[in-house]
Amino acid sequence: MTGFIDVPRIGGLVAIIATTLLAASSAAVADDHPGKAIYQEHCVRCHGENGAGTADQPDPLVGDRSINQLAASIDETMPEDDPSRVDAEAARQVAEYIHGAFYSAVARDRNRPARVEPCRLTMRQYQNTVADLLGRFRGGRPGVDDSRGLKAEYFRGRSFDRREGLVYERVDPQVDFDFGLEGPEPEQFEPNRFAIRWTGSIVPPETGVYEFVVRSAQAVKLSVNSDWDEPSLIDAMVTSAGVDEYRGSLFLLGGRAYPLRLEFSKATQGVEKDGDRDPNPASIRLLWKPPHGVLETLPERCLIPHGCDRSYVVQTPFPPDDKSIGYERGTSISQEWFAAANAASIEVADMVLDHVEQLARVKRDAGDRPEKIRRFATTFAERAFRRPLSDDLREVVIDRAFDEAPDLDTGLKRSILLTLNSPRFLCRGIDDAGDADPFETAARLSFGLWDSIPDDALWKAAERKKLSTVHQVRAQAERMVWDRRTRAKVRDFLFSWLRVDLAPELSKDRSLYPEFAPEIAADLRTSMELFLDDVVWRSGDFRRLFTDDEVFINGRLAPLYGADLPADAPFRRIRLDEGSRGGLISHPYMMSVLSYAGVTSPIHRGVFLARSVMGNTLRPPVEAVAPIAPEQHPDLTTRERVALQTRAVACQTCHTMINPLGFALEEFDAIGRRRLSEGSGPAQKPIDPTGSYLPREGQQASFRGARELAAYIATSPDAGEAFVQNLFHALVKQPVRAWGPETLENLRAGFEKSGFDIRRLLVDIMTVAALPPKVDVAQANDKENPR
Amino acid sequence: MNGPISRRELLRRLGVGSAVLPFLGNLPSLALANAAEPKRRLVIVFSPDGIVRKNFWPAEPGPFTTPGPVVRPVDLPPILKPLEPFRDRLLTLQGVHNKVKGDGDNHMRGIGCLLTGIELFPGNVQGGGDTPAGWSSGHSIDQEIRRHLQSRPETATRFGSLEYGVLVPNKADTWTRMVYTGPNQPVAPVDDPYQMFQKLYGQLKDRESMQSVLDELHEDLGKVANALPAEDRRILEEHAALVRQFEKELAASRSSQVHAVPTIEEGIVEQNDHMPRISRSQIELVVSSLAADFTRVATLQYTNSVGQPRFKWLGVDEGQHELSHEPNSNEAAQDKLTRINTWYAGEVAHLAKRLAETPEPGGSGSLLDHTTIVWTNELGEGNSHSHEHIPWVLVGGGLGFRMGRAVELPGVSHNRLLVALANAMGHSSLERFGNPDYCADGPLTGLT
Repeated sequence: MTGFIDVPRIGGLVAIIATTLLAASSAAVADDHPGKAIYQEHCVRCHGENGAGTADQPDPLVGDRSINQLAASIDETMPEDDPSRVDAEAARQVAEYIHGAFYSAVARDRNRPARVEPCRLTMRQYQNTVADLLGRFRGGRPGVDDSRGLKAEYFRGRSFDRREGLVYERVDPQVDFDFGLEGPEPEQFEPNRFAIRWTGSIVPPETGVYEFVVRSAQAVKLSVNSDWDEPSLIDAMVTSAGVDEYRGSLFLLGGRAYPLRLEFSKATQGVEKDGDRDPNPASIRLLWKPPHGVLETLPERCLIPHGCDRSYVVQTPFPPDDKSIGYERGTSISQEWFAAANAASIEVADMVLDHVEQLARVKRDAGDRPEKIRRFATTFAERAFRRPLSDDLREVVIDRAFDEAPDLDTGLKRSILLTLNSPRFLCRGIDDAGDADPFETAARLSFGLWDSIPDDALWKAAERKKLSTVHQVRAQAERMVWDRRTRAKVRDFLFSWLRVDLAPELSKDRSLYPEFAPEIAADLRTSMELFLDDVVWRSGDFRRLFTDDEVFINGRLAPLYGADLPADAPFRRIRLDEGSRGGLISHPYMMSVLSYAGVTSPIHRGVFLARSVMGNTLRPPVEAVAPIAPEQHPDLTTRERVALQTRAVACQTCHTMINPLGFALEEFDAIGRRRLSEGSGPAQKPIDPTGSYLPREGQQASFRGARELAAYIATSPDAGEAFVQNLFHALVKQPVRAWGPETLENLRAGFEKSGFDIRRLLVDIMTVAALPPKVDVAQANDKENPR
Repeated sequence: MNGPISRRELLRRLGVGSAVLPFLGNLPSLALANAAEPKRRLVIVFSPDGIVRKNFWPAEPGPFTTPGPVVRPVDLPPILKPLEPFRDRLLTLQGVHNKVKGDGDNHMRGIGCLLTGIELFPGNVQGGGDTPAGWSSGHSIDQEIRRHLQSRPETATRFGSLEYGVLVPNKADTWTRMVYTGPNQPVAPVDDPYQMFQKLYGQLKDRESMQSVLDELHEDLGKVANALPAEDRRILEEHAALVRQFEKELAASRSSQVHAVPTIEEGIVEQNDHMPRISRSQIELVVSSLAADFTRVATLQYTNSVGQPRFKWLGVDEGQHELSHEPNSNEAAQDKLTRINTWYAGEVAHLAKRLAETPEPGGSGSLLDHTTIVWTNELGEGNSHSHEHIPWVLVGGGLGFRMGRAVELPGVSHNRLLVALANAMGHSSLERFGNPDYCADGPLTGLT
């Protein structure tokens, strides 16, 4: 077998793999294991089917002996009435069979039906919950609308007094100004005495540490996410020779709005004097460096020209959550996690005490302070526990905490610590009152869509018992989908689904791709992010993730990817390469990530498509294989080299699926530019972008190039099912099978029927998952929303 | 005067009243390494706006107690009267000038060059006269000493230095900053005793808070677990096991290594009228942080240069800075300023008293025997904004100086005194500090 192999053969092999892989969850020993017949003949009469036991022998046949130990024991003692009837060989076979089928701990675990299990909060859930728990007592968030930029007030004089000095007010898309020696407008401002204040909110796209940078030689002050009376992130009202750049860092949760205020004063500070003139040129620029980005002017798309209340962001670091089965879950409480939760509870208690006046809305010397603070602690506990306090619980968490404390503040601190260290807060699914408990339903909805606690509307619905019918739950989910927190969660899900959530290092061979600077890599990630956001929230059509032939391009990316834009142009949608692009699968970011520094990697691309997009399980390679270096075979194309490398039979079990998917993307080089040939000079060869895929059911599909592949994926049941399953798990963090064997297919079919509307799918999933499994949601979904 | 109460509420901390347990263990105290070398400590106290010369400086140089067969105490000047109990451990240095020139008005250079001995950078802060300025172009002597002490294991401490304040306005400008870690790097003093308490003893308090809720937590875990089917209890059992382990660790952490934790009065707010209470709380924390060897260098900054506290409890309604501009002929103002500065002297005396009452840990004598307080000011006189005869009043035995006397110097540069302080703190290789032009004659001599 050399080079490439013939198509029918691939089909056969893939079919076998697919079956084996999908069946992997049911049993580890084949049904035709010879031991089974022996078990049925000699053992089942006492031990029962699958070792479940019988009246004579009620103990189930389970234990921790190894196969060898079991075999020896069976040979010697079984069957009890006549051990000679099972010889050593038969004993070994029956031991192998029962060990793998039901006896061992591993087998028992495998046989356990999927069920909803109690779990603890994930890191993301903890952070969001705290932000909302405390945010609830403060004002609102700005809604999701289209206005961008910052409100700018321009003053004559050096202070920010609207009555005295306001000249005009406008919206500035970003802060990057060089006023020179003249100032903003010579007719309206003295060139050396003016002040500007920019206010609004920022929405950081992802969770992480953001570094803010203000460049100016004038007096400046920047506050991000702080109350007006708290210290500023950057306070440079005093300028001092040699300093014209100030930095400050903040840990922020993605997708939330935070208030921002930037003040700039072109005048001396301190004592105001008549002759006081500062003849320096004036300029100011506000930049940031996002967690996975490069230092850039804080972009308009992340700014909103209206303010919001400050958020409370827990800074205590948590250990990463278990993601071993593809989505983050709180499966167990480790020592590190316990310590983190403990430290975080103290951090939150201190935050509460620091801001108790704003949170409990009480003045320091008010006569009703004790009542108000207790009331605050009660609401805090209720919202943290996601249900009203029982009398018992109130006695412990509120009454005892306050009554036994020496003073009010200590009482409040104890109450907060008790609340935040209680399993009722830290764990989910442990105090379900049953019977479609509306508070449990509310929590399932909010954790599903937001990774956070119910908001006031959900809470009220639960209180009024308006969360028991499919219709009521649906209506809530439909409302909640449009919240900024859902966007943040969906964004994180998509990045995780595409396996770029950790922002893989993206650097390319400088000799081959000299233009590929870190800024380009950061822009590509932003482009991808804008694309995903646009598809999900502007149209909602899942198919567009694959069929869109436009790419978000800015001035910096334009020359590299063949678009014509001014150098400083912001991102806009552009149809590249005469429409040969296929959405995310040929997006230059994905193409660059799924390549080596110098050459493409059809294997990485194929694995990504087979696994993430089409939802197939792939085992790791049988043995670690170093890729063949292109220099070893300068006459081969990448496609030919990969085929050569994976030609061994052991490789072919998986690579018959991987390679033909990856090959279809060979039209795009290692930085995602379109190409028609590979190599140069006499070694130049045309690209062969043909490929194929054998779905889990149905006929093999063949395609030529990214567009055909993308068109196939867009409506492929495999891709649809994989997306639904991935999204379900990301939202609900419990196995979808726990809702019954039909649920996944029902959701997938509904998704298809709805025209692959992702927003609709979010609602469908949450309607299923928020109600107890016995409610037939699929049917009700159809009835209430005729398609 | 310092922002709204609500912000100060923020800094009110838990359990600083009766709930405080008297001891603490297990806080890192690096200084246990070597107890053989006697410790030397320095506390620099700043009060603003100049003094009243005639009521501050001793009438003539010489010992405060004339030697001879008949011991005859010399009268201390009115402002220094509160230091009477420490007259034998008192040293006044008259004739030390702040000669640093450059940008900034005299208040700005007064505080900004006081401990740095070097010019301010040009900047955008305009004072009452002169040219605008920014921050100091060098670090301060306390930080120089800190670096030296922290570089040696036997003198390194948990914090290295602590910067205390009393009613320092909530704004960063040249008039509010005295300590610098480097050029353009001013340090904000912590002027809230609860915040400082949290910094010193916060970890301990956090553990105590957790301890106080553990019983209830166990109870709650038990209740939740009991209501669940056995197969769903795993995660709660993990949780409960960790709570039990945590409890054991808490118990074990109460080791035998204990230091006294100070008790701070409750309900202090950062308001003008609470100034005496804030001052006493900060003094308690200074003493306890020295006793625990958390640091050997501390600064205590009362308000700021051009500070405007109103000493209503002394019957003075005007702000201090406003008063300090009155001419010397205004007897009423002179009297009020004398009372104000006598109050500051009383706080210095209280600090000395508390140090004298506290035994030197692991050594002989009291903390005061191993600590020197240096009380200073950014101006020699308020109305003239003079940088001549900057007040320098030293109390205590930490630097090994010859105490119990008034010294008059011929208008020496204060940089030389700063070097002498560092030398006496064990930083003996330091020959000049700040602008070297002012150190040509080497460290100030005649102090020992």
